[in-house]
Amino acid sequence: MEGESVPLMPYEEYQSNKVHIGTQTKSQDMQQFIHEVAADGTGLHLIDIEQTDERLQLAANFLGMYEARDILVVSARQYGQRPARLFAQAVGARHIVGRFIPGTLTNPLLRTYIEPQIIFVTDPQADNQALSEAIGSKMPVIGICDTNNNLRNVDLCIPANNKGRRSLALIYWLLAREVLKARGFMDDETWQHTQNIEDWESSF
Amino acid sequence: MSKKAEVCTASGLPLTERMSTAFPCPSCGEGIGRSARCRNQGVPYICPGCGFKGP
Ligand SMILES: [Zn+2]
Repeated sequence: MEGESVPLMPYEEYQSNKVHIGTQTKSQDMQQFIHEVAADGTGLHLIDIEQTDERLQLAANFLGMYEARDILVVSARQYGQRPARLFAQAVGARHIVGRFIPGTLTNPLLRTYIEPQIIFVTDPQADNQALSEAIGSKMPVIGICDTNNNLRNVDLCIPANNKGRRSLALIYWLLAREVLKARGFMDDETWQHTQNIEDWESSF
Repeated sequence: MSKKAEVCTASGLPLTERMSTAFPCPSCGEGIGRSARCRNQGVPYICPGCGFKGP
């Protein structure tokens, strides 16, 4: 994956959607993905967008190794709920947004019990219930990790702003496109014309 | 895709614990294993197939 690969989207586009804007807190684990501190005095840490792009490509590749129905996408965060749901619907994955009912991945007696093979979390911290159940069920975890997150119990990190409305819309929109492209069902032009990124933004 | 890892790629521990995992390398598909401890502490792994460094 290193080197000359073409970005999924121009870096300016990522930046205008604030995908690279982190938080004022920087974890040791995320240091490797952080580019610098914003020069505007806000103290926000900025994520290296090239690594974000590379990791999004890897995540799409990784998800493509699983049956769509075996993928579970979760978002407790409000701004992630609409894009996570649209992503799941586009690729045929399952989604749980909002409250995650304890036991969903661990208690076969529950009506809501499911057995996915891989989980994608919007924020390892906010989605900690889903994360800990996934870990106990031995399934690999992909997480969107902001500068304040750590990499505990994450098997593949996508370094990015996991709090912004536009950032999350862009990430899920791109991922859906890439997963469908890898299956041979989509091309950039068609996706661009049929899926307006703004429609992927949470509205509240 | 290569066959599933049976030991942790970073520590060499067998993947028998409840919170361990095995998955194909996100980049090349080679089997990667992670022990419960390595996952819990975010210990990096390096893919033996392509050199990808995760998580
Ligand atoms: Zn590899």
